[in-house]
Amino acid sequence: MAIKRGVSLYSYQQTQFFKKLDWKGQIREVREGLGTDGIEIINEQLIPHYPFPSDEFIYDFRSYMARYDMTAVTMDVYLDVHQFRDHVMTHREAAEHLKNDIRLAAKMGFKNVRTLVLVPIDVIEMALPTAEKYDVKIGKEIHAPWPIKPGNFVQPKKGMAAGINFRAVDEMIELRERTGSPYIGLVPDFGIFQHSPSEVAVDYVKRHAKKPEAVDWIRENAPQYGHDELIDKVDELFPGHGIPINNIDRMALHKPCCQPEDLKEIIPYIVSIHGKFYNMTEIPGKPGQYEDKCIDYETPMRILRESGFDGYINSEFEGQRDQQDRGIENLVDEVEQVRRHHEMLERLSRG
Amino acid sequence: MFDQFLIRGDSLENVVCNGKVTGFKFAVRNADYRGCFLSLHNGYYICCDGVEYPREKQKFEINGKAPRSFEELKTCCWEHWDYDDEGYVYVEKEGGLAPGKHVIGLQQSILAQYGYMPWDEEWVKNPPVPGSGAGAGKTETICEFELELQEKSAGVTSEDENCCCGQEKGGKA
Repeated sequence: MAIKRGVSLYSYQQTQFFKKLDWKGQIREVREGLGTDGIEIINEQLIPHYPFPSDEFIYDFRSYMARYDMTAVTMDVYLDVHQFRDHVMTHREAAEHLKNDIRLAAKMGFKNVRTLVLVPIDVIEMALPTAEKYDVKIGKEIHAPWPIKPGNFVQPKKGMAAGINFRAVDEMIELRERTGSPYIGLVPDFGIFQHSPSEVAVDYVKRHAKKPEAVDWIRENAPQYGHDELIDKVDELFPGHGIPINNIDRMALHKPCCQPEDLKEIIPYIVSIHGKFYNMTEIPGKPGQYEDKCIDYETPMRILRESGFDGYINSEFEGQRDQQDRGIENLVDEVEQVRRHHEMLERLSRG
Repeated sequence: MFDQFLIRGDSLENVVCNGKVTGFKFAVRNADYRGCFLSLHNGYYICCDGVEYPREKQKFEINGKAPRSFEELKTCCWEHWDYDDEGYVYVEKEGGLAPGKHVIGLQQSILAQYGYMPWDEEWVKNPPVPGSGAGAGKTETICEFELELQEKSAGVTSEDENCCCGQEKGGKA
């Protein structure tokens, strides 16, 4: 058994936006352009009239997947706690939402749903009987900056990072041990091995900062400051810098939030993996071989290989977002980026 | 995301209602890769030629229905704005826009979240005002567009099916 390759169709969001490839064209590209079968989808992105698709769509999807002999690996599901606007969605309502997504995933033939890391553990436990009934595993994403092992992380109070529950992974493993249910699992994202901002992100943030020099300062000095402290310092040194907190966070990245070795302990729980990447460039001196300079793939891939992981790594290209603020001629080619990513995945799977 | 592509370049038109030009409209796309429940759509920061038009002056047309106010959209908890679909933003402005080029600054507000956050209760009571970056989803900057007013609807000769700002046909503009 070997590591399997797939694609999250998230990777083709720009191609979909400009109506160059619809979901059928995307699935065909995975089969014909990449020679593989794994498909992951974003529920709201692909399903027309979500969460109420027509039977015709469900039949069409399953039929098309069968035609190209594809495997429906994972459906990514969300938690918009403001959906009802007059109150924050309760945990019981959130569990109903997750159950609906699980039923929808089963209808479309998916084996797993990926929940967000911020979904509370009691919500997952409430949805577990539905997951078992419909034979769909719940995999909680491990997404940067969440750690596999909490270590000495300090709870930030500002920006998205304020929502971090550093025990998210432990809670999932505890729930699985307590219930003995194999329907509880994890979806690590390769972003946890990102050690520096991607060059495309640096360029984007600089283009939009009122004081682009603040970006260089952040990159140089971030290691000396805690999360919230750094934000205050940037405000103090570069008043009116015009850089939103989440972009300060992106620029401040200087070490991965997880160690590749941390993977070993969670391998039995992995339902599938997100192969996050931003910019595949040719490795100097190695024509036809590609890498993402800001994410360590080599070490985690070796560990997965040596540990006998035989599940899917699904490409998740995210570098397009930082290149959509200029003319159409500056847009990146998602299809080509994913092909390069699969060159790397295929090569590193062999060792 | 899609900073330069949120407004369709050839979509800026005046809106005619009961023989009067009551405002302008332009076509937009969703800046979030997954679309959103309509209830989460919280309006726009719109600055046209230096003048700001608050959410109360805006309506949104999607899914083949007449333009709706953002107060009304708040209640559309199970209706989805699909990622692939284009909507129209209607802006109330007596007399509409003059022929020629206009500069529009735009920030879309969609209260999409990825789970519970410390500011949740506050957003129920006081949703972010579009333009601050809070609740701006995946595109936090204010994007600028230079758009030519399309002549086809600039005149006042015909009534627009989508009467500006959702006024019923025959109602007072």
